[in-house]
Amino acid sequence: MSEEVRGSEDIRIGVYVCHCGLNIAGVINVKELVEYAKTLPNVVVAKEYIFMCSSPGQNLIKEDIEQYKLNRIVIAACGPEMHEPTFRAAVSEAGLNPFLIDLIAIREGSSWVHYDDPKRATEKAKDMIRMSVARVRNLEPLEKIKGEVKHEALVVGGGVAGLTAALDLANRGFDVHLVEKRPTLGGHTAMMGVLNWEGRRLSGREIVRTLIKMVKDNPKIKVYTNSEVVKVDGSIGNFKITVMRKPRYVNERCNLCGKCEEVCPVSVPDEYEYGIKKRKAIYLPYSGAYPERYVIDPNSCTFCGKCVEVCPVNAIDLNEKEGEISLNVGAIVMTLGHDEYEPAIGEYGYGLSKNVITLSQLKRYLSDDGPTKGELLVNGTKPKNIVFISCVGSLGTTPHANQYCSRTCCMAALSEMLHLKSKYPDANIFYVHKDIRVYGKDEKLYWEAIDNLIKFVRFDEPPKVSIDGNKTFVDVYESTLQERILIPADLVVLVTGMTPIKEVDAVRSLFKVGCGGDGFLKELHLKLNPVESLTGGIFLAGTATGPKSVAESIIAGSAAAVKASILLAKDHIEVEPLIAEVDESKCSGCGICVSICPFNAISMQKREDGTRYSKIDPLLCEGCGTCIAACPSAAIQQYGYKDKQIIPQILAVFGR
Amino acid sequence: MSGEFEPKIVVIACHWCTYQAINLAGTSRMKYPPNVRTIRVMCSGRTDPQFVIEAFRNGADGVLVAGCHPGDCHYVNGNMKTMRRTVLLEKMLEQMGIEKGRFRREWISAAEAKKWVDVVTEMVDQIKKLGPLKLAGRGDE
Amino acid sequence: MAKAKIAFYWCASCGGCEEAQVDLADKLFDLIEAADIVLWPVAMDFKKEDVEKVGDGSIDVAIINGGIRMSEHEEMVKLLRRKSKLVIAYGSCAHMGGIPALTNAYTRESILKYVYEEAPTVTNPEGKRPKTRVSVDEMDFELPEFLEYLDPLDAVIDVDYYIPGCPPTPEITWEAVSSILSGNLPPKGHVFGSDRALCYECPLNETKPEKVTLDTIKRVHQTELDPNKCYLTQGVLCMGPVTRGGCKALCIKGNMPCTGCFGPVDGVSYQGAKALSYFSSVINIDDEDAFRKLVEEVGVDPLGWFSKYCLGKGTIKRR
Repeated sequence: MSEEVRGSEDIRIGVYVCHCGLNIAGVINVKELVEYAKTLPNVVVAKEYIFMCSSPGQNLIKEDIEQYKLNRIVIAACGPEMHEPTFRAAVSEAGLNPFLIDLIAIREGSSWVHYDDPKRATEKAKDMIRMSVARVRNLEPLEKIKGEVKHEALVVGGGVAGLTAALDLANRGFDVHLVEKRPTLGGHTAMMGVLNWEGRRLSGREIVRTLIKMVKDNPKIKVYTNSEVVKVDGSIGNFKITVMRKPRYVNERCNLCGKCEEVCPVSVPDEYEYGIKKRKAIYLPYSGAYPERYVIDPNSCTFCGKCVEVCPVNAIDLNEKEGEISLNVGAIVMTLGHDEYEPAIGEYGYGLSKNVITLSQLKRYLSDDGPTKGELLVNGTKPKNIVFISCVGSLGTTPHANQYCSRTCCMAALSEMLHLKSKYPDANIFYVHKDIRVYGKDEKLYWEAIDNLIKFVRFDEPPKVSIDGNKTFVDVYESTLQERILIPADLVVLVTGMTPIKEVDAVRSLFKVGCGGDGFLKELHLKLNPVESLTGGIFLAGTATGPKSVAESIIAGSAAAVKASILLAKDHIEVEPLIAEVDESKCSGCGICVSICPFNAISMQKREDGTRYSKIDPLLCEGCGTCIAACPSAAIQQYGYKDKQIIPQILAVFGR
Repeated sequence: MSGEFEPKIVVIACHWCTYQAINLAGTSRMKYPPNVRTIRVMCSGRTDPQFVIEAFRNGADGVLVAGCHPGDCHYVNGNMKTMRRTVLLEKMLEQMGIEKGRFRREWISAAEAKKWVDVVTEMVDQIKKLGPLKLAGRGDE
Repeated sequence: MAKAKIAFYWCASCGGCEEAQVDLADKLFDLIEAADIVLWPVAMDFKKEDVEKVGDGSIDVAIINGGIRMSEHEEMVKLLRRKSKLVIAYGSCAHMGGIPALTNAYTRESILKYVYEEAPTVTNPEGKRPKTRVSVDEMDFELPEFLEYLDPLDAVIDVDYYIPGCPPTPEITWEAVSSILSGNLPPKGHVFGSDRALCYECPLNETKPEKVTLDTIKRVHQTELDPNKCYLTQGVLCMGPVTRGGCKALCIKGNMPCTGCFGPVDGVSYQGAKALSYFSSVINIDDEDAFRKLVEEVGVDPLGWFSKYCLGKGTIKRR
């Protein structure tokens, strides 16, 4: 950015004191302020007006800029959050650079809070004006920084949020690259199988299939499964991405005949069935998976080659290597999804008895497309006593549990309980719960459950599950009856919640997005910017930012697509120029700034003589100013907040 | 009330949290002593310890550096640098003869208008008791 | 052609700067060839009256080291200023107060009380203090006053140039003196040495990883430094980043981290504050209790660590 050579510039300041009706003038002696301002060095004109932000108020400034050749403006009124854009625009129209103004809040900062002492309120306002004049004297003209925008998007994660975001962006006209780490699209919605919707049970795979069909049919979406992003360079509008495509070992000739699966000697738990069934090392994730072909899991495959021998269409190549793909996109939508809380071995008997399962496993048993075709048999017979334990790993019920509520588990659990009751009317179903959180329209699940004689047992202290051979017992102190209850259970179902994905720290440091205290990705603002991250150009959706239902994830995916499309629709972006810049002639290459920038906006460069110096990417710099305070050579300054724009304010407090 | 010592306290406030709290105190019409003079920076991490020393050197009776709570920094962790700098600065200032209580660092979020008012009121009271900054024991120059 | 006239003077000085001047060794003879030394208390017998006798501005350059601690120092440097065309502040004490400026953390009274009454080897039950004037056998004797603060030279007189260091290296000294004698005058206020901080010339700078983050800090004696790796990355404070270069990183090459004697680069007024700022920024501890605990355990002494030579520039005096 070029700076005018200051040298002999004659600083001519105009000071405008607003009455804001009686908000300021009712307490502060505005005339006294105006007269005082006139005494300050470089102040050429000082005026007052009843509402500076009004058209006549703004015109007053514009005319004075012209008439008195003003080149700096102080407005003593409300604060910058209120009207900085207003006044910036106004002075621009008069031909003055919009960054040569200072708006100080003598309203919020003085008249509204020191109304019991008008004399001292006025004194404080005088000091504030003197400080503002000191600042404005040293302000420099600045131009917004322009960056180009590539009209392509990257979506990281192919679950329902990612699929929705990709579709909305593609339908808007942008090319979308959808990268998914698993061998198939669909995420958890495809894995869990059954969803609850206002008491009805829907197949998650159907929802996913619908979305996948639309993705398949959309020529603007390129899908990269079995792939992960390994490098992210650049910044908003212009990200340079490197994707690593892991070998699938099975190509598009695969006709799903399944002969390879039959001969494969390796069996491992099937993650798409939550481990209740085994799969081979070469497997089809689920019927309707996309791409619909087999894949080899390299972590369990022994590369014995038996599958290659039997494949009738030569679709298997055990020598397939990983491939690198370079992308150049303008916006990134991160829909990383979540992991499920995995109970520890022994937690409520998990892993010690096959009669203790998680809700997800139960849902697979009860799914028509599950390994038992929807039948639930315990020890060969229909279950009599089924005990659900809620909040496993949530709500701080146990020392290593998460504190947050996982939002969707109660409605999922109640939905399955009602299904069980309708399927096995003689079964006794217990919901041993800490809290019940079925919200909105799902409230009726609760009442239906009561109508269907599902027994609610409330605990404060987590229940104990004991195992005696084939039998399990749930021992709980009911907090309403204040009695200890011992339930012999044929089946114990642990209702577990959502956690951030295990690789979240590695992924987010790649993209330079932050996370909250609970490990989920952090939104820019919980209410006002729920799908934007702290990093410009990167949007967040789905369970990556916290537990959500499928519907809520889809909504978030659409929202992120909308926000991303606002960016992508531009040819250029403009960034506020209140950023930091290194004076290379002063830089010793000590590297302190590179080490502390939270946005990785600073990098080390080499001079011809081999010495180092640091450089700040103006599109990545967010303008926090931390590097300026830390720079041991005072070689970095922040436009708008330079030392020479701050220290004079301090001196001005004391009239120097 | 002339003759009673009125301290002048310089505040360096971050834009996203403390400055919004100051505004909120304003819109909520909360009363507090008019002894502070606030300088706004984008992040408390912009606070160069030299600012604090300049403030004391030029006449401040007290200095307050205020930013976002840990975990809430708009710029991820600028406030964590502030935390460490101010812990050491507090020690250094004491070594230089500035009594405890004159220099403070507080975390004040955008919603904590009341905390802003309480901190200012407390600081003004405490510094009134300490008196003007005299660097204890030094004679008149 | 008349030889240039040079004066040397020492204020509150340890004598190290004089040794550095003598360390010019054979260059000293070049100096004596080129100039007339009209005052040099450590080596020659000129008196104050000799200086008072010469015309104002007739001394070409006065090289003054040591901080202004006593009223006599103030008097002499003001005299030398009047009598000299150029005044050079030589060494950290004249430049920034130096190590003796650490006494600015104490009141004059507490210093005198310690020295004359409280120190373990002192026996002074009546609490006698030196007087500034006393008469003995009808003769009046005067002692200078012990001032409230120790000030750098430019707090008292106008200074033209600074030669930094504790002491300045012979190279820097010769570079400064010869450029002045040859008429190659830099702009007023120039501090000799490099324009950039020490890291620029430090042989260990390139051993730094991309990001320097310290998980803990140690004092130099609590660890064994690897001489081939940047000392900061080994957890000890190195003042290199915040110190003007030009000394050829002597201490680094001697297996010690820089302690900051050349003072800061242009643009930094108080080196101690910047050092505190940079060092605490790269320590990777975000929990305040844990950080405070570490600071106590290690025994961080901010003034001693960060302001060893420069407290003269950072002293907060009562307004």
